[in-house]
Amino acid sequence: MPSVTRLMKLTLLASAMSVVAGPALAQESAITVVLPEQVSNLDPCNASNSHVGRVVTQNITETLTRLNPEEGEANPLLATEWEQVDELTWRFTLRDDVSFQDGNPFNAEAAAFAINRLMNQAITCASRSKLSNLVMIPEVIDEHVLEVRTEVPMPILPTLMSLVMMVSPDTPMDENTNEPVGTGPYQLADYTPEQVVLERFEGYWGDQPEVEQATYVWRSESALRAAMVETGEADLAPVIAIQDATNPETDFAYLNAETTRFRIDLGVPPLDDVRVRKALNLAIDWEGMATLFGPDVLRAAQMVIPGVLGHNAEIEPWPYDPDEARRLLEEARADGVPVDTELNVIARSGNYPNSQEATEAMVAMWSDVGIQSRITTVDAAGWTEYLNKPFPEDRGASLLMQMHDNVTGDAVFTVPLSYASDGQYSTVNDPEIDELIAQARAATGEERAELFGEVFRRVHDEIVAEVTMFHMVGYTRVGPRIDWEPTVTTNSQIPLADISLND
Amino acid sequence: MPRIATAFRLLANDRLALGAGVVLAVIFLLALVGPFFVSDLATRPDLLKRNAPPLVLENGFFHLLGTDTLGRPILARLIVGAQFTLGIATAAVLCSMTIGGFLGLIAGFSDRWYSQVILRLADIIMSFPSLLMALIVLYTLGASLTNVIIVLAITRIPVYLRTTRAEVLELRERMFVSAARSMGASAPRILFRHISPLVVPTLATIAAIDFATVILAESSLSFLGLGIQPPQFTWGAMVAAGRGYLSSAWWVAFWPGLMIVITTLSLNLLSRWARMVADPQQRWRVQSLRR
Amino acid sequence: MTAFFGKRLAYSLISLFGLLVLVFFLSRLTGNPADVLLPPDASAAERQAFSERHGFDEPIHIQFLQYLSDLLRLDFGESLRQNRSAMEVALNAYPTTLQLAGLTMVLATTAALLVGALAAIRPGGLFDKIASVFSLTGASTPDFWVAIVAVLVFAVGLGLVPTSGTGTPMHWILPIAVLFLRPFGLLVQIVRGAMISALASPYVKTALAKGVRDRRIVFAHAMRNSLLPTVTVAGDVATGLINGAVVIETVFGFPGIGKLMIDAIHQRDFAVVQATILITACAIFIMNIVIDIIYAILDPRIRYQS
Repeated sequence: MPSVTRLMKLTLLASAMSVVAGPALAQESAITVVLPEQVSNLDPCNASNSHVGRVVTQNITETLTRLNPEEGEANPLLATEWEQVDELTWRFTLRDDVSFQDGNPFNAEAAAFAINRLMNQAITCASRSKLSNLVMIPEVIDEHVLEVRTEVPMPILPTLMSLVMMVSPDTPMDENTNEPVGTGPYQLADYTPEQVVLERFEGYWGDQPEVEQATYVWRSESALRAAMVETGEADLAPVIAIQDATNPETDFAYLNAETTRFRIDLGVPPLDDVRVRKALNLAIDWEGMATLFGPDVLRAAQMVIPGVLGHNAEIEPWPYDPDEARRLLEEARADGVPVDTELNVIARSGNYPNSQEATEAMVAMWSDVGIQSRITTVDAAGWTEYLNKPFPEDRGASLLMQMHDNVTGDAVFTVPLSYASDGQYSTVNDPEIDELIAQARAATGEERAELFGEVFRRVHDEIVAEVTMFHMVGYTRVGPRIDWEPTVTTNSQIPLADISLND
Repeated sequence: MPRIATAFRLLANDRLALGAGVVLAVIFLLALVGPFFVSDLATRPDLLKRNAPPLVLENGFFHLLGTDTLGRPILARLIVGAQFTLGIATAAVLCSMTIGGFLGLIAGFSDRWYSQVILRLADIIMSFPSLLMALIVLYTLGASLTNVIIVLAITRIPVYLRTTRAEVLELRERMFVSAARSMGASAPRILFRHISPLVVPTLATIAAIDFATVILAESSLSFLGLGIQPPQFTWGAMVAAGRGYLSSAWWVAFWPGLMIVITTLSLNLLSRWARMVADPQQRWRVQSLRR
Repeated sequence: MTAFFGKRLAYSLISLFGLLVLVFFLSRLTGNPADVLLPPDASAAERQAFSERHGFDEPIHIQFLQYLSDLLRLDFGESLRQNRSAMEVALNAYPTTLQLAGLTMVLATTAALLVGALAAIRPGGLFDKIASVFSLTGASTPDFWVAIVAVLVFAVGLGLVPTSGTGTPMHWILPIAVLFLRPFGLLVQIVRGAMISALASPYVKTALAKGVRDRRIVFAHAMRNSLLPTVTVAGDVATGLINGAVVIETVFGFPGIGKLMIDAIHQRDFAVVQATILITACAIFIMNIVIDIIYAILDPRIRYQS
């Protein structure tokens, strides 16, 4: 049997090859990062999309200010200081020792260009969309002083500047780009449908980071991402599923600034009755639910995480009390509320890890106390139609799955959208709340925090406009070659400069 | 009847096919009557029993194969899932066989413009990977039980259409058709009374293989997130939901995966046998071997 | 022969056009790209501006005419998500899938010819049974399930191959091995059936009866005849292989056309969906014509008539 010997030779050859092709010994200070989704473009203007931001933000491009997530306030970065000139105007003093990776100097003119590009309607810009119609008009005062004017008072403008990427003045103004040039410690070396490679920028104004080169690849299966760090094919998997975070040596949990809820459609019976809405909250076994998301999740009572200006630590989340839920429902039924109406639970497929399981579990728990519901699963596009006004006519008495992130550090990017009468996806229609929100938007500091906190309290305790679930936790796997720990901003940015190498 | 008797004798001769037939019969029986014994065990989450390992009897018989990510006994879910899985496959195969067969009869018998339209439509469907076609249609219609069936049926229609047409093209030149025609039989009568009975056995053979294809296609749809949606579920959906746990709780995706393999393998073995029986030359070979 | 291929080409073009119409209108029924490409909290005004910028606010028949006229100028549109021309995106992804599918197809066909022919020597024999059960089991398994298990076993557990990616030839072993299973399983059965028929045909029996000693000659003749049905089926199997490629590329992170198409459909990146479908369909049409030619070469009896 000559063919058998040949086969054996082939097998031997294959195993020999596998030894050679083991983990490639590239540069000592090069790392590989495996992301959950393709980096499908690299325009810094889209950096608020996590797949772009994880690569670009604070690596290629930097911002005037950097958000300190613990305190919810801005720290200096490319701007050294700032002050409010009048109600509508802020003045920023810029660093004078910075230049772009293409050699252009960074100055007030360049900063103005970057802001104007962000505001330019001719390009698609997720960061602009994120700022919900805020209009910023930059004005160059001198070489390193810039003023930014807004049409409405914006007391948190310095915080918002942490979303505006400073791009080189040579970036195309009227087109999106895949060749970002900024002032950051890394510059783009290669961008293919399979990977993005960043290399250290030797002319960086700050300290030189340890990592010389970073390669980003992407795999959609979490198990695969975790395995790649295990086998040494990658050094960092910033996002893995909870069930893959099995090794306490390498896997870290972190609060990821995302909060989950089901929005209640207050306008449609039986959801127009507050007792039914309370029952929805009381019927859920929150401890049991937490097992789906891991031991580190925080039960949420509002849609922003602690640290965001406006977070109200005094709100008590609804407890698990099925008997009380049944009692409330009976009471409502006695008053003629159609509590037997089947609710429409709208779930977005793959919204967050285990979202499908969580929905199924909650529907079963609701059914236990006597609330009947069916699940409608839609994808992102179908879901957005339910999310935003005008809501579809045929939605029925609906509960909408939503995960909301607020990394701006201020509740103004959560509250008006969610609870004001004219809010884009608000189901609340309450003049008192509108008044509170208007006051909060104009206020600053303590007063602002208190007013937004009061809105959260009323929405939770009195109106019961939502079934708030959890402040979510992300899991990350860090290989033995590097030293790094995730933070609350890891979902939107992974500054390579924070990574140090183990020898 | 002697033909059926022969078929059974041949089935008894081929132990592989016989085994496959028995397995399929058991699975279908389970899908039909099983759900009555399961009640709501299959759909009721129990978060305290998440991912319980298999082969432990203390929680009751239905926990024998362990529990899934929401603490539901897998054995119970396999039984209820069988109903959806086989139901979808049966409906899809019957639809595509009927529609494809009907269109194929027309396209084969007539040379009018509509035959051309039918053939070109079949070309369009054939020239396009079925999974992607299914995705686009499901995004348009929304993923539901009916729509999944429709989509799977559409993608399989051309197979039946072309086979039927090819058979009709050959049959319509035969003596008995010209005879019927000369006796004044109408075209529909010739088609349905004389030609279709001869085409059906061929289609049935294809259907067996197609049944397997459809089950696998449905599981791929579930993997991509567009299969039927909870609370309904198929084996494919169970595998897709459990695949994230393969390294920590292998049984969640293993058992439904095994059921898919067993069912489709049995179907494939049966259709392999059916082809052999249908082909006289092969049958000669098999019979001669057994002597 | 020329007339036959001319007609064939005309039919292909008609089908291609039908496909384009179908895909254009169906994809636009799946929703507004602004809903996916802009953040969920983008304002109505932002969405409106986005639609105007990309012409989605026009009536759909105007959009279609615009698409057709662009197509005539070989302009396939821009990828909304990737900031690049849609055709460039599609053509970038093409070689990966072509290599993946091509290699798999060659391997599967060769292996199937070998195993199928050996199984046909003694139908019902031990080798036949083992080969049939193994090949059919492979063809009966959900591919994404096998793919993930294979990674966990061979890449993570045994460390024989890398988990994913395309860097070295070693990277290709697992994806090809998994993708191989279905076409191999189907083709083995076809080859086996064809070989049994061929070996049972009168001329072989006659040859054997006349005492042709060299069985290899007989075998080679039968093999040649069984190529014909194999080639027919191989065409359909190759089209089906794209389905497998979608799944395999998704799991293994291959930047191929299947993964691209799935992502484009998910993200409502219509121009990319249209461009990828156009070139996939073209490739399939060309393949079908090539199969016709192979047919003509294999079987001189076939004279193409229109």
